[in-house]
Amino acid sequence: MIYVENLTKKFGAITAVDNISFEIQKGQIFGFLGPNGAGKTTTIRMLSTLIAPTEGKISIDDRNPDKDSGYIRSIIGILTETPGMYEKISAYENLNYFSSFYSIEEKSRKESIEKFLRMFELWERRLDPVSTYSKGMKQKLALARALIHKPKILFLDEPTAALDPESAFMVRSYIEKLKEEDITIFLCTHNLEEASNLSDVVCIIKSKIIKIATLDELQKNRKGKKIEIILKGSSSKYLNLIKQFNEITYIKTDKNSINLSLENPEKTNPILIKKLVEAGAEILYFNELKASLEEIYLELIRG
Amino acid sequence: MKNASLIFKKEIKEILKNRSIWLPILAVSIIFSVIFPAALTLGLEGIIKDPDAANFINKVFQGTDNLQLAMLQFMIKQFMIFLLLIPAMLPSLIAPASIVLEKESNTLEPLIATPIKTGELLLGKTLTSLIPSFSITFIDFVLITIIIDSIAYTRFKLLPLPTWDWAVVTFVLSPVISFIITMICLIVSSRTADIRSAQGIGAVIIFPIYAVVGLQIAGLFLLNIKYLFVVCAVLIAVCPIVLKLAIKIFDRENILTKWKMK
Repeated sequence: MIYVENLTKKFGAITAVDNISFEIQKGQIFGFLGPNGAGKTTTIRMLSTLIAPTEGKISIDDRNPDKDSGYIRSIIGILTETPGMYEKISAYENLNYFSSFYSIEEKSRKESIEKFLRMFELWERRLDPVSTYSKGMKQKLALARALIHKPKILFLDEPTAALDPESAFMVRSYIEKLKEEDITIFLCTHNLEEASNLSDVVCIIKSKIIKIATLDELQKNRKGKKIEIILKGSSSKYLNLIKQFNEITYIKTDKNSINLSLENPEKTNPILIKKLVEAGAEILYFNELKASLEEIYLELIRG
Repeated sequence: MKNASLIFKKEIKEILKNRSIWLPILAVSIIFSVIFPAALTLGLEGIIKDPDAANFINKVFQGTDNLQLAMLQFMIKQFMIFLLLIPAMLPSLIAPASIVLEKESNTLEPLIATPIKTGELLLGKTLTSLIPSFSITFIDFVLITIIIDSIAYTRFKLLPLPTWDWAVVTFVLSPVISFIITMICLIVSSRTADIRSAQGIGAVIIFPIYAVVGLQIAGLFLLNIKYLFVVCAVLIAVCPIVLKLAIKIFDRENILTKWKMK
């Protein structure tokens, strides 16, 4: 659905996006993560034909943005960083105005407006000026605007940033539902838990792509594994024994638990367990701890 | 064209809700097209009785045998030049507001992310400024004609309006001035982030019109059909230049990366 090859965007001497390549399949949720200024918004703008790349190739739904920018904009929906609504007119008028630029029959457009206003619990306030809305209500309205023309591709820049937990949950559930409808979603977020729960593929960017993989692959290919050992009795007396293992890169003991990171666990774990048992430790649990996306992200970003 | 008219309709709705835009327009219109012409035409007899004024008119319209008509013609020329302020002033109020309000509400990016063409966006914004400017200017000119003619006819049995130079000002010069000022205001508004500075710059842009008004009032020249044709020709030649500049500025990439935002 989205194909990007060697994409670069320069603003004068500054390279905002540096030679990135990726492919997103139809119906996939593509988590696009990176620190502020990493080039996320610039990438979205290039993919949505708002700005032209300095170099590289983009294909959206097998179309070239240089030639078919109008078509591409008609099949995408964008939730920008700020909701961007006309404050003096009502929510209904805002949706009616933005949706009227798409080739949709008036009847189905109006049905769609009602559907999304009801879904996001804004129907009762539809005639109020947007200036009277809370930040979260504006965000929901902006999301409704991105969806109203039934886009094939959805670019979401921080979709739950301004929402209360209940609304954020509702939006996440809706994003999952959109996936079932085969809508391709490009999700930019700083909420790593959200990215981890929703994304099929995660791309970590800092001008260049640092890593692109599924969450499973990221966890599997991570340098070192985390282990948690729960003992019967205090764990601190085994600290010196554990420190003898060169493969162990991180140790933390707390009451009856030991948390450690180690290289090559398949080789080290049996020896470690044997040594602990020989030293009198009674092992209650021995678990591999899967790294969270946050840990992986921070490791990758910090290099 | 459909998209441009959508923008136009929405913008007009917003302008009507924004009193700070339409109130000065209404005030200027009433002052220049109703109060001034009515007061001066009604006071014409008094003005003619003043020997200095009569002498002046005799000098300007040498050998006139109808002092009242000559005085009216002189006043009409003054009104005409005053009225050039309206097609200049209206776009300088509306066009910056139309852009800056988009910036203030961060609506430009979602708007240009729709299938709308940037030419349609520019056209929509231009019409928002141009149509009210031209309509109000035209209404003002018609009002002045009715007021001056009805007073002049009842009192002196004269119908001084319309004249050829009056028609050139109404149908050629005013729209051309409106267009140029609109384009310049749209270009300038891309570089400002708040409505006050945009309209401040707009006020400076119309300074040449004030200068023309001042020069005529000072008696340095008197607008006639020959001057009008020269001015119209020059300004019409300027139109494609400002349009080209505006088109360049209304490029999606320029809007997102070069326009000064809030």
